[in-house]
This record gives sequence, structure tokens and C-alpha cells, in this order.
Amino acid sequence: MTASIIDLSLWDLVTVYSLLLMSIGLAHLLKAGQSKDLFWSGLRMFIQLLVVGYVLHLIFALETPLPVLLILIVMVGFAVQTIGARVQTKMPHFYRVVGTAILFGCGGMTFFFCSLVIGLEPWYDPRYLIPLAGMIIGNSMTGASLAVERLAAEFRERRDEIETGLCLGGSIQTVSETAVSSAFRAALIPSVNAMAAMGLVFLPGMMTGQILSGTEPLIAVKYQIAIMCVITGSVSLTTFFILKLGYRAYFTPYQSLRED
Amino acid sequence: MNNAAPLLQVRQVAASRPGESGALQRVLQKTTFRVDAGEILAVVGPSGSGKSTLLRLLNRLLEAESGDILLSGENIRHFPPAELRASIPLVSQKPFLFPGTVMENLQASARLRQTELPTSSDPSLQELLELCHVDPAWLDRDARKLSVGQQQRVCLARAMVGPCQVLLLDEPTSALDRPTADQMALTFRQLAREKNLAIIFVTHDLRLTSRCADHVIFMANGAVVEEGSATQLLNHPETAEVQAFLDSGSEDDREVSA
Repeated sequence: MTASIIDLSLWDLVTVYSLLLMSIGLAHLLKAGQSKDLFWSGLRMFIQLLVVGYVLHLIFALETPLPVLLILIVMVGFAVQTIGARVQTKMPHFYRVVGTAILFGCGGMTFFFCSLVIGLEPWYDPRYLIPLAGMIIGNSMTGASLAVERLAAEFRERRDEIETGLCLGGSIQTVSETAVSSAFRAALIPSVNAMAAMGLVFLPGMMTGQILSGTEPLIAVKYQIAIMCVITGSVSLTTFFILKLGYRAYFTPYQSLRED
Repeated sequence: MNNAAPLLQVRQVAASRPGESGALQRVLQKTTFRVDAGEILAVVGPSGSGKSTLLRLLNRLLEAESGDILLSGENIRHFPPAELRASIPLVSQKPFLFPGTVMENLQASARLRQTELPTSSDPSLQELLELCHVDPAWLDRDARKLSVGQQQRVCLARAMVGPCQVLLLDEPTSALDRPTADQMALTFRQLAREKNLAIIFVTHDLRLTSRCADHVIFMANGAVVEEGSATQLLNHPETAEVQAFLDSGSEDDREVSA
């Protein structure tokens, strides 16, 4: 099956990069001022992916679990960093909360899928574990940023409501209910939309990739369905952890709203 | 009465808060006073005198830096904060109503305190509404569409759904016109008498103070300047600060009752 894959030669890559030159030209023509951005991000993509390609190549050859785990930890670190950069208003104890949530939410779901569903042999098989963890973490990252952003907005907008609730004798859990549920809803919208539109509006990347590399479409479809369920599970679990740990961060130890 | 513990006792309580530079600033100097059941205490003073801070310390929205606050002889730190606030509810200066009807607001309060949900046929609810001058006809109305004065009354009633011992009010009349404010003063008297409730309010409304307070604490710059019975402090102040404050209020704002 794999024999049917058409490799891309160096010349082929140069050819597609000429398309980037075209985009730069068009941007220049329309005075969009994006030429530099396009150039640099095109170059970054090239270098980053090349490095990743070599690292993966190396790790696939090593056949020991330690480097695989290391890569996963680095991915979690980058994910937390990216959320931190993307989100404007961070909750108190942001890095601790989000780090824990991603680690356990995404980690749990990746383990669930790889060990209990696919039954990887060996359990750390990087060919499966790394790209699957990448998809799970990447999607959960989007959900997590939405949740964090929304929670902050809710606590800002609902300050009076929350404090009134506290003044009437409500627990911090009860007075945060609306904020927490609204943040959860916001985080899950992309997953809900993606599942509903899947196959009709777009062919998902993973499935396309598998088909291109020679996998039977039906097998690719089954994998796509499975990964979507796992991603949704991971987004909701990660978001759940973030919200359950995160809402408390808005309160003092004696259960009043923090001033900042 | 003297050998029983007072309902609320504030002993040497001081508080600091981060100032604009970020450094801690004393906003309340060591303060001591007591309030008994059925008594109304007015905390009077110019803006920024530490009145609101004091109020927020009493239900632990803020934490005291030193000193003790005792509710029926028990340090308030020993209560779970939610339980404490259920028995010492605070009504904020600007009435905040939850979205929904007046009835839904009253029920939300019961839900927050985990007490039984009231129904409109409840005699205890009817009594509460009457005390707070909340017209039962408002129950099904959108709470946020009521006038400010009406909203203030609903907030008052909402704070007292379920058992409570001390009522904290932050500038209860600042948004009200005079007739409504006068009616409010009457309401407070009735509440204190009929529910044996202690009421502590923060205000610079001298008219309200003279109409319903038993005791007055006058504060300036985070410290108690003078305290005493309402008649004494409003009519024969001992300090120049209080005298100046009384003089600055327009004459007809005060009803001097001998």
C-alpha cells in the first residue's frame, strides 16, 4: 500500500514555495503590508517542520519511551505557553491551572484512546502517540483559551451579580455557576460545529492525510470519527478541569471576590 | 443585658488595603463597638472615611488585619463564610437585582442560602413583604423594570428571606428621593423592632440617621472620631469634626429632635 505514495522532490517544494512568492507579490500589489509577515512565517514553517521531521525520524528509529514522553511534555508546555500568549485576561494562578488541566485532560484522553481503544503495542509507539497527542492537545488548546477568556469576561461583567450572591450567603460554587457554564459552552462550540459540519463542508485533515498516504477511505473515516470523539472528550475534560480549578482562583481563601 | 454577649461585637479591628502605589495603606484604625439585637447603628462620615470598608469587614468580604469580630460571642472566622453572610446579609448601595421577576429574586436568595423556597401564599413571605413595603403585585414583574426605590425595597426583602440576625446596608438612601428615604427610615425601625434585628448602615444622610438610628459612630480618615446616642451626637457633638460635618449638611437635611 505504502508503495503507492508519491514522494515530493526538492524541486517540487521549490515549486510550491513559488506560490508563496506569488502571495507576497499580490500582497505588495494591494499594499496590504503583509509581505514581510508572509515571508517570515513561510520561512518559519519551513524550518520548524524540517526540525520536527528530523526529530520524529530520529525518535521513530530510537524505539525507547523516554524521548517520546519528553516530546509530549514539551508539547504540553508549548500549548500552555500558546494559550498564555493568546488570552488577554489571565485568571489568577493561570499557568498552574491551565498546565494541570492540559496535562490531565489531554493526557487522560490520549492514554484512553491509545491504550484502551487502539491498544498500541508498544504503548509508546511514537508513530501513533505523537500525532494523536498533537491533535488532541492542539484542539484542547483552542477550547482552553476560549474557556479562560470567557471565564475572565464573565467574572468581570458579573462582578455585581456574584458579589450580591455572596452577600446573600451563597457559596462560591453557587455564585459562579452561570459564569462557569457559560465558559464551558463557549469552549465546546468549535467541537460541536466541527462534528456537525464534518464531511459536508470540509474533509478533515487527518482523514485526508490518511487517504493520501494510501489508507482505505473506510478505515480513515473510522479513525476520523474516533479522533473527533476523543478530541471532544478532551476539550470538555480539559475545560472542566480549567473551570473547576480556575473559578476558585477568583476568590480569596475566605471566599470573597479578589480585588484585582 | 450586660452580662449576655452582645449580638455583634467589634474589638480593636483594623484593616489595610493596597493603595494606588500597590503598598498597603491603613484604611481603618483600631475600631471597637458593639450592637445589640433590635438596635440600629449608623456609621456616618465623609466619603473615603473607611465606612464601607468597616461594613465589608463585618461579613468578611474583606479580611481584618487585626482584632476580632464576634457574632453572639463567637469569632466570625469560625463560621463558614457563606453561613456567616446568610445571617449577616449586606445590601449594596446600588440595588442589584438578578434577571427575572421579583419572586424569582426572592427565590434565588433562598436557593443561595439553601433554605426553603418561598411561595407567594407563604404567610412569612407576606409578612416580610409588608414590613419592607414591597407590594405583592410586584412579585410577577420584571425586577429590573421597577423604580430605584422599589428595587431598593426588593433588595431589602431579598436579604431577609431566611433567618438573619444583622442587616448591613451601604448608603441605603443615596439613590432615593426624600419621601422614599423617609419611608425607608420607618421601614428600618419596624424591621429592627419586629424582627429583633440589628441594623448597621453606612451613610452621610443625617436626616435618615436622625430619623431611625439609636447609636451613631462618626468616622473620618479611617478612624472613629466620636460615638454616642443619635440624639446626643447630632445635637451636641463633642468634636469640631462632627460639628463641621453637621454644619456642612444643609440645615433642612437634619431634623433636630430634642
